[in-house]
Amino acid sequence: MDLLNQIIRQPVDPDYALAAASGNEPSKRRWKLGVLAMIIGAMFAVAALQTTRAEPALQSERSELISRIRTAEREQDQLRGRVTSLSEEIATLRTAALGDDDAARSVESQINMLDPVVGNAAVSGPGLLIVVDDSPSAAEDARDRVLDIDLQVLANGLWEAGAEAISINGHRLSNLTAIRSAGDAITVDYRSLTRPYRVEAIGDARTLQARFVETSAGAWWNDLAQNRRMRYEISDVKQLDLAADPGIVLRHAGRAAS
Amino acid sequence: MIPLFGLLAGIVIGIVLEPSIPQVLQPYLPIAIVAAMDALFGAFRAYLEGTFTDRVFIVSFISNVLIAAAIVYVGDQIGVGSQLATGVVVVLGIRIFTNAAAIRRALFHA
Repeated sequence: MDLLNQIIRQPVDPDYALAAASGNEPSKRRWKLGVLAMIIGAMFAVAALQTTRAEPALQSERSELISRIRTAEREQDQLRGRVTSLSEEIATLRTAALGDDDAARSVESQINMLDPVVGNAAVSGPGLLIVVDDSPSAAEDARDRVLDIDLQVLANGLWEAGAEAISINGHRLSNLTAIRSAGDAITVDYRSLTRPYRVEAIGDARTLQARFVETSAGAWWNDLAQNRRMRYEISDVKQLDLAADPGIVLRHAGRAAS
Repeated sequence: MIPLFGLLAGIVIGIVLEPSIPQVLQPYLPIAIVAAMDALFGAFRAYLEGTFTDRVFIVSFISNVLIAAAIVYVGDQIGVGSQLATGVVVVLGIRIFTNAAAIRRALFHA
């Protein structure tokens, strides 16, 4: 505080008073002052010029970064498409390689049963569509935003209610799917989502909604919708098409006992 | 009058000639300008109080600019450059405001 007090009490260089008190006649040559003032003016002009110059450069840098992100995202989409087509090819080759005996048929039926459950195959059927979104006042209060944990609770509640396949904004959930927030966005399978969030779940059309509302996730979202005024709409859908999760990779393989 | 004309001439020269500042010195230019503004306001107040001396002004101006730049330079070397720059701006800003208020009182009696 002493420092601030001193700054406020003595804002003028004390030397001015000293020099004036010593009685030296101030010199009349003002050209030095003129030169100094010129330097200050030039400094000011140059700094202002540089700041205005730097702005478009920063802007273009920013837009270039954005376009690079877009390109990378497109590339990722293409690669995902390639993964899907290659997995289809693998499935065809596998069927051909398995042959046509009893053991092969049992293996194949097991595969056909497990594929949709783990998210390795595209599935379609009746189910629920739940659309959730931030509340209108989300800009003022961060607590009015949909968080990653809200979507996690929603997905877990749907599993609990007997959903057979779930996807969020077109990203199919599997056992290994992560729903997390990164920065301001929520990511599913490390892909950012844009609002609103459309959660699709395939399951028994007669019981899925009723059972979901009874789970703790249903209570959680009721609370969010009522107290935080978030958007939360559940509707029955006759036909949902969920794509396979392209993120599933072969982790372990062994020779079949023959 | 001469300093005022000098200031205007400097601004015109700066805009017309666009002297390029070396990349190394660029971060210190804004701080140097704030220090220069502080010296200017101090000088104007001293002038109104009748104690103005150009020798003191020139010395205080040059030392202010150099010290402000040096503080930020040292801060940059030890990784607290932006914080020290903020500190310099705050201290000099307080002085500028106090001096400007005194100048306003002296000029307009308000």
